[in-house]
Amino acid sequence: MAAIETNGLHKRYGGDILALDGIDLHVEEGEVFGFLGPNGAGKSTTINILLDFVRPTEGSATVLGMDAQADSQSIRQRTGVLPEGYQVYDRLTGRQHVQFVIDSKDVTADPDALLERVGIPEAGDRTAGGYSKGMKQRLTLAMALVGQPDLLILDEPSTGLDPAGAREIREIVTEEADRGATVFFSSHILEQVEAVCDRVGILRAGELVAVDSIEGLREAAGDGATLRVELATVTDNAIEIVEGVPGVTDVTQRDGGLTVSVGDGSKTAVLSALEDAGHEVTDFRTEETSLEEIFMSYTEGSR
Amino acid sequence: MSTLAVAKKDFQDALRSRALWGLSVLFILLSLFIAYAFAEFTTEMGIEEQTAEGLAYFLASQIGLFVSVTAIVIAYKAIAGERESGSIKILLSLPHTRRDVLLGKVLGRSATLAVPTLIGLAAGAALGSVLMGEFAVVALGALLAMSLLFVVTYISIVVGLSALTGSTSRASMLTIGYFLVFEFLWGAVSFGVVWLMNGFSLPSEMPNWVFLVNQVPPSAAFTTGLTALMPGDIPAATDPDFQAFYATPWLGLVILAFWLVVPLAIGYWRFSKADI
Repeated sequence: MAAIETNGLHKRYGGDILALDGIDLHVEEGEVFGFLGPNGAGKSTTINILLDFVRPTEGSATVLGMDAQADSQSIRQRTGVLPEGYQVYDRLTGRQHVQFVIDSKDVTADPDALLERVGIPEAGDRTAGGYSKGMKQRLTLAMALVGQPDLLILDEPSTGLDPAGAREIREIVTEEADRGATVFFSSHILEQVEAVCDRVGILRAGELVAVDSIEGLREAAGDGATLRVELATVTDNAIEIVEGVPGVTDVTQRDGGLTVSVGDGSKTAVLSALEDAGHEVTDFRTEETSLEEIFMSYTEGSR
Repeated sequence: MSTLAVAKKDFQDALRSRALWGLSVLFILLSLFIAYAFAEFTTEMGIEEQTAEGLAYFLASQIGLFVSVTAIVIAYKAIAGERESGSIKILLSLPHTRRDVLLGKVLGRSATLAVPTLIGLAAGAALGSVLMGEFAVVALGALLAMSLLFVVTYISIVVGLSALTGSTSRASMLTIGYFLVFEFLWGAVSFGVVWLMNGFSLPSEMPNWVFLVNQVPPSAAFTTGLTALMPGDIPAATDPDFQAFYATPWLGLVILAFWLVVPLAIGYWRFSKADI
């Protein structure tokens, strides 16, 4: 069964701002799904529709097999959420926050154990107004974990955390997935989802431009090569020649050399073309395309 | 269950408001002062007979202002503030419907305001009763019950107004505007209505139905409703002296019931459709 399913989701704000332009998403139960895209691409709008914070202009969504609007309360009973743009209650302590979730979901859980698990055991008696941004994020994660939810929706969970904190979040995500929970989490940084996600979906300007596994994305990006060529002198002619080689998708000039993206073309062809035209190649190396570049290529529209 | 969880959280939260406790200390001191003055300076104030019922009315005189102002202070941000800051996302990530959230807010903030109100009234009633050597259970009980209803009503109005918007500055304008029109300036509004109905001039004698218009403000309805519950035959200043179906102090309770339900219902209607 699908944990999350959307059909043709459109969302228009105030009549003319199109936030979502037909999102068809399918997330399997038990899957860890990374929802990627630059800020403003529509990730939070999609999540807000799943939680019935926002109503779609067109289309529908089901979560855990239930209608996102009609059965929202039952969905949220079985879902743990770390929302985007939230604020904690400054005058309540960490323990009171977690207890509020326990009361709301009518489950039994130990607030102190949860605070311990997210790495802020000292926060139980302190009011949240004095927390750092990272502590607030950890507290909200503890609240999302209450009652072993079937689905975790984490919107930019690494916000405000240092790299160690971001790693701890990934560990918790893995633990939750091992327990059998479905995890849907969004990020604008691919690296953060790379290690834990079974599949990722990439969103750009309200449209889902790719859904695949990390390996699949890598493959789809070609043999993933960037060629770095150092030249004795860089001239416009050299750039033109390289651009003319079949398979070359992008050429940029940098520090006395050229960085060449080669799709499915031959790298040696680039080098021979340069030398045939009389340019002196002093050095060259190939670099594997990083995931970040793949991500950029989807989100910046060069594909 | 859901409503109660929200109410409990909200009560814990609002109870820590410093503004609430500042106003409350003021109100409790004022109640004690009023009770003392009523018991000790009865004749100087031109009151003919010193009774425990009289004490109850005297104590009631401060409720309207304290409850209305404090309700606005502690509740104008109830929904708008949570929407503006984003804490509503925590609230609505949990299995609460928007109706649960509104009702929980009304319950939680009412409990918050009920604490100082009841403490102040009980303290004033105790001091006055001891000084006078007379304790009127029914009259003071009626005052407490009516005050509680008034507290819930006012909180419900303010929460309802707060649910209309996602901006705290707009919520403060709405609630202060409400207070100005329905409490502070209502005398002028009432005159205006008469002037309008009389063809743009004031009649030599005020028509009877002005009584009805004058009961519209919640604090006026509170005072009028109190006389309906009060035992004894102390004629309150607001008692109508003419015959009409509405010429009864019970009208106060009807009007409070209106204020209890209608603004909250409108607020719910808007809030339930809003994107947050």
